[in-house]
Parts: sequence; structure tokens; C-alpha cells
Amino acid sequence: MKQVIKKQMNSNPEKEKIDDSKVDYTIDFVTTSAISKIGYKFLVLYLPILWLSGYMTVAVFFDVSSYIPWYINMFLIPVWLFVLYFIFVFGIAIFTKAFILIINMLHKPKEGVFRAEEGDRDYEFWRLRVELKKIVFWFMNNGPLTWIVMWGFRWMGIKVDFSSHAQDSWVDERFIEFGRNVTVGQGAVVMSSQIVGRYLIIKKIFLGDHTVVGGLSLISPGTIMGKESVIGAFSATIPNQKIETGWIYLGPHFARKLKPNKYAEQRRDVIYEVRVDDEIKYEVKQEVNIDEDKKKLLNNNIED
Amino acid sequence: MSVPSSLKVGPNTTLILAKKRYLIFYIFLIWISIFTIQFEFWLYWNWLYGPTLTEPKVFIHFLLLLPFLVFVMYLTSILVSLFFAKVILVIINLIHKPREGVFLRHHSDKDYRYWSLRSTIKKWPLWLSHKFPFPFMNNICSKMFGIKTNYSNSLFEGWVDTEFIEFGKNIVVGQGAIVQSSVIFGNLFIIRKTIIEDNVMIGTQSVVMPGTYMKKNCILGGHSMTTVGQELEENWIYLGAPAKKFKKNVFYEDGLEEIIKNQGIGEIKTEARFEGLYTVRKDKEINSD
Repeated sequence: MKQVIKKQMNSNPEKEKIDDSKVDYTIDFVTTSAISKIGYKFLVLYLPILWLSGYMTVAVFFDVSSYIPWYINMFLIPVWLFVLYFIFVFGIAIFTKAFILIINMLHKPKEGVFRAEEGDRDYEFWRLRVELKKIVFWFMNNGPLTWIVMWGFRWMGIKVDFSSHAQDSWVDERFIEFGRNVTVGQGAVVMSSQIVGRYLIIKKIFLGDHTVVGGLSLISPGTIMGKESVIGAFSATIPNQKIETGWIYLGPHFARKLKPNKYAEQRRDVIYEVRVDDEIKYEVKQEVNIDEDKKKLLNNNIED
Repeated sequence: MSVPSSLKVGPNTTLILAKKRYLIFYIFLIWISIFTIQFEFWLYWNWLYGPTLTEPKVFIHFLLLLPFLVFVMYLTSILVSLFFAKVILVIINLIHKPREGVFLRHHSDKDYRYWSLRSTIKKWPLWLSHKFPFPFMNNICSKMFGIKTNYSNSLFEGWVDTEFIEFGKNIVVGQGAIVQSSVIFGNLFIIRKTIIEDNVMIGTQSVVMPGTYMKKNCILGGHSMTTVGQELEENWIYLGAPAKKFKKNVFYEDGLEEIIKNQGIGEIKTEARFEGLYTVRKDKEINSD
């Protein structure tokens, strides 16, 4: 057994050879969004944001609590902690928005293909904006009420309604449009930017009304999802993929058509209908582990 | 760093307790880091403002600096726990040197036991530095624990094991990706060195198994996985679980902006290529041997 495992460990699984001569420039695979490329020089902006919002919370606490006698304050400590945390988070959201408004006046964000290297203006400003928005989403995601991150998305410039849910997933900072009633599953990554080699691709994503994105699936830049379409769990769309309206798609690396989404039709027209007369009744016999002489009693009970 | 809780791959992935008494080190590290915080706050309160805190001017100073103090307290708690963890690790590595190989996953096996002890000690400082809003703390932490890494790498969104890993420059580890150097197969416990060279990209939610050797400029796509001891060649893009050659990586050439931009919708004709990415299990071969 050990020998077999050692054999498999040392062998390379790919045996087929692909032509080296053909050069393929199409991007039909998913890598990562540009959020993980970090510029350390931008982190300086965290300090004023943290200090301003921290000072706000501390000032609110000492100002309000001075009007309340100390023994009531002692009782209210858990409530205070809860309230102060949210004052802190909203403070961060407000001050970050102020910084971002100034940054957007310096350089307007735009879609396109850019060089992912230092010196490229679009790339540097993208990183700066991501770095600032990260701190907002970080504090919202680490709090006790994670759904306030939906408000955070809206506040930071993603077009999203309060009818849709994306609080358990990563959503990039800009160029994303949600329709009504969109559900994005746990651990899904909706990215409007992607780094491939030396290039940064930014393209708008549109998720139509009533769409569902499954858990752990990836939505890459340029994806357009029609109304009532579904992407299954652990599947990925490739850049510029178009998902047709009313279809279910599935598959890792590249989502393929599976079947039309009939569940959506049900949701639309039928107000749940149950016919009581036609319902089938099931009879199940179960074995009960009791003594032989007492089984008669049990059978009698059922017949009654 | 900012990944939501459902995407998070925490530092607790390495921790399997071989013996409960190892928790003493863990508790000691927690205690010593909180103790220093307390001491710091006491100094701040007493030495700077102690007797005159009731005066309004001094009180405003106290409030102004309090957010910074909280920040510094968090930083010191990380650094102190990191320092003591390093000291304990150095002593433990003198007693038993960590080495690669295939071991038994049982507490009678010395290597497995010491690996468990090491990861128990690393757990608290790692957890603290993962929770820190500034991302450079992770790099410092993993450098202290003996990964060869560079500050140009970004390892914050996923999970990277803390020993037997060598990084080059400019590496991106995607959201929710896992880079491992140790893995458990049933009764076996395997440690092998993972080497990742310059400019490698590891895609979103993909897994790099121990012993993987990723050469320069290669890309591992999202949702894919390497096998134990796999070698990924230079300038190739890999996809699939287990990872297979997909196409040549030409995206390090200059002047491709126009070509990439003009790829319209509906130009994708490559459905057939994706069929090769799905593999059939080879149970029969194993049984015949």
C-alpha cells in the first residue's frame, strides 16, 4: 500500500501534450480579483480613518454616560459595547466615503484593460480605492450583524437594492449592478476585476432580477446574468460570459447550460395549490424491539 | 483580511491536538499577551494622567489619544505573543528538529506529536495577526515562523501553512485559497516542502498540496487543485482538480491591451476543451497492485 502511494506522489498526472505552437490570447479561465495585491503606502490612510471614528465613539460614550448615574452605566455595559461598535463602524464608513469622494475627483474610475504594474495610473487608483473600502467591509463582516454590509455596499458605490442578499460573499468595490431580489450564496466571489499575468481587467457585472448564485461559485468580470437565471454551487463563469434568461448553469471552471429554470415559473404564477382529496396516504410498518408476548398489545392499539 | 466569515480559511486548519497537555503553551501565550496589554494601560493611566485625570484639559488629552492606545495595545499583544512563541519554538526545535517525510498519524509517532505541538503554539499569534486590519502583520508573522517570503507577496486572503514553504517574489494567493505543506491521508501524515517561484498566481478557492513545485510565471486557475509532489512548468496555465495543462501563459508579453479588450461576448468556442479537465477516479489500479 505504501509503495502505491509513493508511486502516485511522484508521478505527474498530466500525460497528454498540448501544442506549443498555437498561441491563444483568449481569456477563458478565472484567476483572482485584484483585491489581493496590496500597496503598503496606501495603508497610511487607515490611521486618520481609524483615529477619527475611534475618537467619535469615545467622545459619544463619555459625553452621554456622564448624564447617567454610574450604577445604571454598570448595568448598561453590554448595551454600550454593542452600540459603540456600530457607532465605530458607521464612523469608519462615513470618513472613508469622504476620502473616496476626494480620490474620485482626482481620478475618475473607468473600465478597460490596464497594466497591473506600479506606475499605471488606473491600477494604482484601483488599489487605493480597494484598500480604503476593505477596512469598511472588514469591520462590517467581523461584527455580530453581518447584513449591514449590504448597506456598506450601497454606500460605497455598488448598485444594490435592499431586497437582494450578498452578505456572505465577497463583492468587489465598483462596476457591479444588482437587480431586484438577487441571492448570492455563501463563499461566492463576485469580482469585477481580474489580474491575469501583467494585465488588470476591469469590466462591469450585471446580475438581473431574481437571479441566484450558488455557494462557493465565482463570477468573473463582464458576466451578464439574465432574469431568473441560476448559477449552481461550486461553478464559475469565464470573463464576458452571457447567462441566458431563465436557465440553470453548472460546472466548475466554466458554467454550462443544464436545464431551463422551471422553479422560477412556479414562483411567478402559482399561489401554492394543495389538493387534499388527491393526496396519497402512505402506510409504513415499523418493527418495534419489544418482547414477544407484548407484541399483541401493540397490534391491538394500532387497529383501534 | 476583509474576506467574509464564510470564505475564511482560518489558522485553525493545522491544529489537531495529539495531546491535551500542549494547551498549556497556548494558554500561557494568551495570558502573557493580555498581561502586557493590562500593564500598558495601567502605565498610560497612572504615569501620564494619574492624579490629574479629573481636570477637564487633561481629560480631553486622554480621550484624544485613547484610539491610538487601543491600536498600540493590539499591536503589542501580537508582538509579545509572537516573541514568546518564537522562543518556545526555538527550544522545541532544538529537542526535535522538524523534518519532511511520511509519518504515522498517531500520538506514538514523534514527528506527528511535535508537529501538533508546533501548530498549537503558533495558533494564538496567527489568529491575532489574521484579525489585524493592517495586512503586513501576516507577513511579519510568517517570516518569524520560518517561511521564506517577501513583502511583495500577498498571502492575506487565504491560508498559508507556516513551515516548509518557500516563496519567491510577486506572488498572489487568491481569496479562500489554501497553500499546504502538511496533509493527512487516513493513517498517514505527510510533510513535504512546497516551493513557489516568482510571479505565480494561485486562483480563488484553489488548493496547493504539499510538495508542489510551481515554477516561474505559471498560473493555477480558480477552483483547481494540485496533487502531492506535482511540478507545474514554467509559463503555463493550469486548471482542474488535479491540475492539468490548459494553455501557454502569454499574458506576460507587452502590448496585449487591444487584443484582450476586443474579446466580445459570444466569442468563446472552447466548450470541448473543458471536458478534459474532469478526471475519472482510478480505484481499479490501486486494487490490482
